[in-house]
Amino acid sequence: MKPLPVLPLWRHRLRAARAWLTTAAIVLLSVEALAAPAKPARKLVNVADTRGLDPGITRWIADLYNSSYWLFGLFTVALMALMGLALGFACDRAMGLLGIHLGRMEHHE
Amino acid sequence: MDIFTIYLPIAGMHFNVLLLLLIGFTVGVCGGFFGIGGAWIVTPALNIFGFPMPYAIGTDLAHMGGKSIVSTMRHGKFGNVDVRLGVSMIIGTTVGMEAGARLVMALERAGLAESVIRKAYIVFLGLIGSYVLYDYISHTRRTKAAGADYVPSGQDNLAARLQRINLPPMIHFKASGITCSLWLPVLVGLTTGVVAAVLGVGGGFIRMPALIYLIGCPTAVAVGTDLFEVMITGAYGSLTYAVKGRVELIAAMWMLLGAAIGAQLGTVAVKYVRGYAIRLLFATTIFIACASVVLKQLQLQTASAAMILTAGIVISGVIIGWLFKGIVAERAAQRDNGR
Repeated sequence: MKPLPVLPLWRHRLRAARAWLTTAAIVLLSVEALAAPAKPARKLVNVADTRGLDPGITRWIADLYNSSYWLFGLFTVALMALMGLALGFACDRAMGLLGIHLGRMEHHE
Repeated sequence: MDIFTIYLPIAGMHFNVLLLLLIGFTVGVCGGFFGIGGAWIVTPALNIFGFPMPYAIGTDLAHMGGKSIVSTMRHGKFGNVDVRLGVSMIIGTTVGMEAGARLVMALERAGLAESVIRKAYIVFLGLIGSYVLYDYISHTRRTKAAGADYVPSGQDNLAARLQRINLPPMIHFKASGITCSLWLPVLVGLTTGVVAAVLGVGGGFIRMPALIYLIGCPTAVAVGTDLFEVMITGAYGSLTYAVKGRVELIAAMWMLLGAAIGAQLGTVAVKYVRGYAIRLLFATTIFIACASVVLKQLQLQTASAAMILTAGIVISGVIIGWLFKGIVAERAAQRDNGR
């Protein structure tokens, strides 16, 4: 088989520059094309049904949901983070009771 | 079983608590072990049991943020979270996800979104799964040929070549043990962000292999660092869905309870398993996710969701089996050393 010709360095650099320019052009064109505005979304209004609920945590969450989505959203993120931290801490302690080493581990591939 | 049925006022339905705990536990084990959010299990599982799709997605994202905190805390103590790398990637991921979402809207306007995305998803997951499986098989062959002490040189793989690109600023990522240009994780984050947003997945399926094969992280660090990202994207996703009124918070709380226990078990299991074993199970998981989308494409929605839930339970069982085996072996070794 005939060996492939060895290209000089400047040809390699030219090819690399061409590849970069092509990629940049594609990215710029895509961003331009995607900048067109989308159709406005239809607004859906949801209400939690609290009629049969007794006072308690479920009722309180449903009332919060009905009063403001933003407050509900912020409460959701905060509650999930706090629950994650508390449960993570509790599970960590429980795992420690098994008497296994839970410090830094070595990486074996 | 009626005592376990609760009323979910936001979704306006009754649901079994044990089922929520089971779904949470399953996805917690898989998430902690693979470093993924697990939306591919939770969303169809909730949907098949009657959750409307937007609530299924929002509720999944809400519990995902909390669950990832549990896994990230534990992986952090194991030294598996490269915070600097995670933060560098988040910059690219955020921009990439926004660009990907706009690309989806453009496809929607052209009336191509549904068919193009689903087919791209199948091809993409198939390719990732095949590559990870190929890597596992070739590693096993090399190990057999070279003996048990075989250590891969890693000098000529793609990650090593990308790390050598000298584009300032060069940064050392301590937990991963690599030095590379800051632009490498930013660009990898950008690319995985675009792909994740277009395919409608959380990103873990794509980011975890990208961290291994493009950036060069050890498998356990890729898992931990990816969970760090899932934690932040999950919190953001949960906020966006909650302000649109699409999070069933009571269900998310119950799921998080199961997921926290599962995540702890899945994360500790990483300690007892070699990196390539994680990769093999990950490849299997990807193929299952891919097959479920094929079933959806064939209009077999129920079969698809049932397969995912069953596979999730089986995979969690395998991981917990490895965990118990590891704990028993470690305790036996401790007893032997004590004598």
